Amino acid sequence: MTRTPLSLPLRVLWNAFYWTYERATWQYDVMVVAILAFVWLTPPEWLKDPMASGAGPIGWLIDALK
Amino acid sequence: MFPLRLIIDICVRLRIHPNTLTFIGVLINFAAAWALALGKFVTAGVIMIIANIFDFIDGKVAHESQAVSAFGGFWDSVIDRFSDISLFIGLIFLYSDLRRTDYVMVTALAMMFAIMTSYTRARAESIIKKCKVGFMERPERIVLFMIGAFTNRMAAVMWVILVLSIFTVADRIILTYRELRETHEAIA
Repeated sequence: MTRTPLSLPLRVLWNAFYWTYERATWQYDVMVVAILAFVWLTPPEWLKDPMASGAGPIGWLIDALK
Repeated sequence: MFPLRLIIDICVRLRIHPNTLTFIGVLINFAAAWALALGKFVTAGVIMIIANIFDFIDGKVAHESQAVSAFGGFWDSVIDRFSDISLFIGLIFLYSDLRRTDYVMVTALAMMFAIMTSYTRARAESIIKKCKVGFMERPERIVLFMIGAFTNRMAAVMWVILVLSIFTVADRIILTYRELRETHEAIA
């Protein structure tokens, strides 16, 4: 059975899921940036955070654009 | 790093056994877990840093005092699991105290998959050569705990640990399955 190669977006998703990269590679750095962006930018309200409150940077941005 | 170098030298000179340092590390982590349970995140973060200094230096002290042993490695791994689990239990206590069943579940599941991350690798490496795939390993988890504690974003951190630990466990199962299948095919 021959496998058809994955398209680029699917390959990126697969590589993010099936993680084989070492630390100190650019892929690792991108993942770290994505994680920190999620942690710091996601409004605590969206996650119903029991300890933090407020809209956070994304919430402020949405409010400013309204 | 000068302060760490100094601490290592003092420990070697005082002939403190590396296994003792490992044990002190877990006791300090229990204190961090207690601070998390009380909702004192910044205090917990500071205590976590101190605990991880012990975690970092025990191996170096073992090396420099020529006390490296198979038992030391085993002891270190076992104690690491206690440290990890205690932090999660601290958070579970906090969220249950706040009557937040949703986050009790998120944290409990994150704990389950964090333990399974270590277990899958340990078990896999008894049947295949190496099983080092997946992003969410212990150093990443510890740093995320600290980030969550210092910036009061523990809920987001729990989600990240949960999702990426599930991926890591899945990665290790996939790798082990593939490796064993390849070995089986090579023999057949």
